[in-house]
Amino acid sequence: MNIKLENCNFDFDQRFQLEAVNWQIEAGQHWVVTGANGSGKSALVATLAGFGDQLVGSFTGLPEKVALVSFEAQAELIEQERKKDDADILDVVAVGTTVSEILAQGGGDALITKELVAKFELEYLLDRAFRALSTGETRKVLLIRAIASEPQLLILDEPFDGLDSKTLTMLQEYLENLSKGINIVMVLNRCDEFPEFMTHIGYMQQGSLIHKVARSDKEATRELLQLLHLKTSHLEIPETDEVSASQLLKDGDPLVKLTDICVKYDELRVVEDFNWTIEAEEHWQLSGPNGSGKTAVLSLITGDHPQCYTNNINVFGFQRGNGESIWQIKQFIGYVSTALQWEYRVGTSLKNVIISGFYDSIGLYTKSTDSQRKIADQWLAVLGMSDRADISFNRLSFGDQRLLLIARAMVKHPPLLILDEPCLGLDDINRQLVLALIEKICAAGKSTVLYVNHHSEDAIAGIEKHKKMVKNVSNISH
Amino acid sequence: MSNNYFNTLTLRDQLEQLGKCRFMHLNEFTEGVDALKGKKIVVIGCGAQGLNQGLNLRDSGLDVSYTLRQAAIDEKRQSWKNATENGFTVGTYQELIPTADVVLNLTPDKQHTPVVNEIMPMMKNGACLSYSHGFNIVEEGMKIREDLTVIMVAPKCPGTEVRAEYVRGFGVPTLIAVHEDNDPQGHGLALAKAYAVGTGGHKAGVLMSSFVAEVKSDLMGEQTILCGMLQTGSILCFDKMIEKGMDAGYASKLIQYGWEVVTEALKYGGVTNMLDRLSNPDKIKAFDLSEELKVIMRPLYNKHQDDIMDGTFSSGMMADWANDDEKLLGWRAETAETAYEKTPAGDFEISEQEYFDHGILMVAMVKAGVELAFETMTAAGIIAESAYYESLHETPLIANTIARKKLYEMNATISDTAEYGCYLYNHACLPLLQDFMKNIDTDVIGKGTNNEDNGVDNARLIEVNEALRAHPVEHIGGILRGHMSDMKAIV
Repeated sequence: MNIKLENCNFDFDQRFQLEAVNWQIEAGQHWVVTGANGSGKSALVATLAGFGDQLVGSFTGLPEKVALVSFEAQAELIEQERKKDDADILDVVAVGTTVSEILAQGGGDALITKELVAKFELEYLLDRAFRALSTGETRKVLLIRAIASEPQLLILDEPFDGLDSKTLTMLQEYLENLSKGINIVMVLNRCDEFPEFMTHIGYMQQGSLIHKVARSDKEATRELLQLLHLKTSHLEIPETDEVSASQLLKDGDPLVKLTDICVKYDELRVVEDFNWTIEAEEHWQLSGPNGSGKTAVLSLITGDHPQCYTNNINVFGFQRGNGESIWQIKQFIGYVSTALQWEYRVGTSLKNVIISGFYDSIGLYTKSTDSQRKIADQWLAVLGMSDRADISFNRLSFGDQRLLLIARAMVKHPPLLILDEPCLGLDDINRQLVLALIEKICAAGKSTVLYVNHHSEDAIAGIEKHKKMVKNVSNISH
Repeated sequence: MSNNYFNTLTLRDQLEQLGKCRFMHLNEFTEGVDALKGKKIVVIGCGAQGLNQGLNLRDSGLDVSYTLRQAAIDEKRQSWKNATENGFTVGTYQELIPTADVVLNLTPDKQHTPVVNEIMPMMKNGACLSYSHGFNIVEEGMKIREDLTVIMVAPKCPGTEVRAEYVRGFGVPTLIAVHEDNDPQGHGLALAKAYAVGTGGHKAGVLMSSFVAEVKSDLMGEQTILCGMLQTGSILCFDKMIEKGMDAGYASKLIQYGWEVVTEALKYGGVTNMLDRLSNPDKIKAFDLSEELKVIMRPLYNKHQDDIMDGTFSSGMMADWANDDEKLLGWRAETAETAYEKTPAGDFEISEQEYFDHGILMVAMVKAGVELAFETMTAAGIIAESAYYESLHETPLIANTIARKKLYEMNATISDTAEYGCYLYNHACLPLLQDFMKNIDTDVIGKGTNNEDNGVDNARLIEVNEALRAHPVEHIGGILRGHMSDMKAIV
């Protein structure tokens, strides 16, 4: 068997569309389809059972015998039963179709049906009306009916929902055995429910199948599950700790006020006559070509540029160059950039990397408090890295390091969060991970975000102001 | 003019000054930079130390500017560029020194006498003059005006490290001292502590020492184990491998990176840990070699320490200064011409463990050098803490410079004073080890022992392990490394 969908679009009653689906299910493969709510997982697997109108694309190799168990199918059957009942105008209590009859209607193998009825311990229900069953019971009946029909492709949409643990184990074992001879496709939301024998994972987002990963690729699988975690779990940005929280600014004062900025090296003026005021709760995007001085401007704000002492800079109420220390400035800022990641060559644990955000240090040189450690644990949970709290930062993948540094920047709820090309150097899935996290942060409204980025596809909802830098004309004319 | 200050002290005072060294606790720095807040700090010299210390002090909220000679400003020399590009005010001595509350003299030793003589009359009454090395005061006997406070703050790392660690939120180990003859207001220590905080040093550990102890231990360490031993060892080990027909590129690489790898083990767990990295039979071999080396080299270490103590060394070097650095420059050129220096490291994979297994003699040389320097210093009255820092503690830092660009980099990074002392040692040590080297083969340098079986005699192994662990440098090292890791907390 080799099911192949190439550039397929599907429409579901003009309520939902699937777009540009490219998918291949080969013999011996078993796919989990996952994604956030509303991403189109159920619609995707339903196309394999003939649902949806195919608009364009090529769809080949579908086997003859396909069985689908889903909430939608379940609901439909129950609805039919209800209608039958309603349609009965005789003054008798309609029993409706019995479970036995429903099972027989499936036309499945009687022996298999009997075996499964026993396994699911449903014998006592056989004579009851199907519509009188509980949701869990109807689900079991439909599972039996589908499996007994001996399909070549078995599609199970959330088959484990509402099953008790004993039944769950039994069903998983049964399916594992079954998987040796047929293809199985499942929609599952909880990654801890993915059975071992499922060989591939597909990830849906906004009607597209955007990631396909073989589970033998451990690294890709882990990243995909992490993305799933960030997209589907109910994320709350952890609170910060009273003691180390950045001090509140005076109301109405701008966070940053840069006046007539000039940055020069020898005779080269990289930035000239530059002015910028950033008010609290005003998210900004900063863009400009290479060499237009973005990094210079950012480092003037953070205090990392030595010429911050020769410019008119007011940050967080400090007029620079009046006896303030850079650590007083940095406590108001969370900062993430590729350069920081290169700098962060420290063999310290993930937890300590997050805690170091309270001290704005690279590495941790101060004894942390209980409350800081607790907050770090909460962030690790947000990132789905709780199980790796004590491993060394430099053993982390590049994308995970970036996520962790964003958490480090956010840990103190800084009034200003600077994200200098946070997606630079990341592959697709890691980019989505980072953007998902940033969107949560923007939505949480704890910090004013200054976002440096060139790519329109990396836009972040909620950032409306835009500062464009240009190369200094006086240099171009040289 | 030279009038050795140390030699004017009574033996009692000499011993008292040499015995000063105390590891300070973090809670002694709660006042932060307060003692320097609002004071005008003027730095003389804008090389690596000057620039990077100034950047740190300014980022700690202090008022820093640079003073350079008129010529350096007019010609826009590198020092002028360093200061102006980083947004500092730069002015001549006449313009800035009279306004300074604290003057940081960060020029090379050789320039101290003329520079201090020139600026001293311009300094404000009651101002402070700070050094990062005590040579000028102790060896040249520079007398500082009585109203001035004289302190020393010496970060124990190259200038770039001083900056890099500060930016990370940490610092580098720093030695501070107050010249007791020049502390008229009694606030020298407060100023030195604030200065150490300003550069971030307090986070990595501060040693309170004296000008005398700093000079006498610093000179001894840099001449012998730190630079001298590594230079002599590099040349001897390389020449031996070539003599035995080994590939020159491999030999060059084994030495260039070998010092760094084996002394990294030293940094973490002292001499004991460095030898523990070897197999048992190799450990015993390294131990025996180092015992032999110690017997041969002890008179040389004693001579260096004696010459440092009685001023023979410094007067010899000052004579070379007066002679346009003829010896220094000659030796420098000679070093550049050695076969080791001229052979680039080959393209070989050498694993971390292989550096130990194939470098038994290098391990033995480091052990012998560290222990001899420590023993000689403490026998001369220098306190164990100082002796530890100036021997074992700094060896990995110097080894790191060799890894970067061989002996050239080492000698370019260290001070001219250290470089002069290093060549002096090398010249005496090479002939001294000639006979010893005749019996050396590639089993201890280059190829490894390749024992078929790692069996050793129990009694002998116990004896060697006990001797390693019982050495006094291991005792004080254990205590000080404990302090350091407390400070570094969880890193």
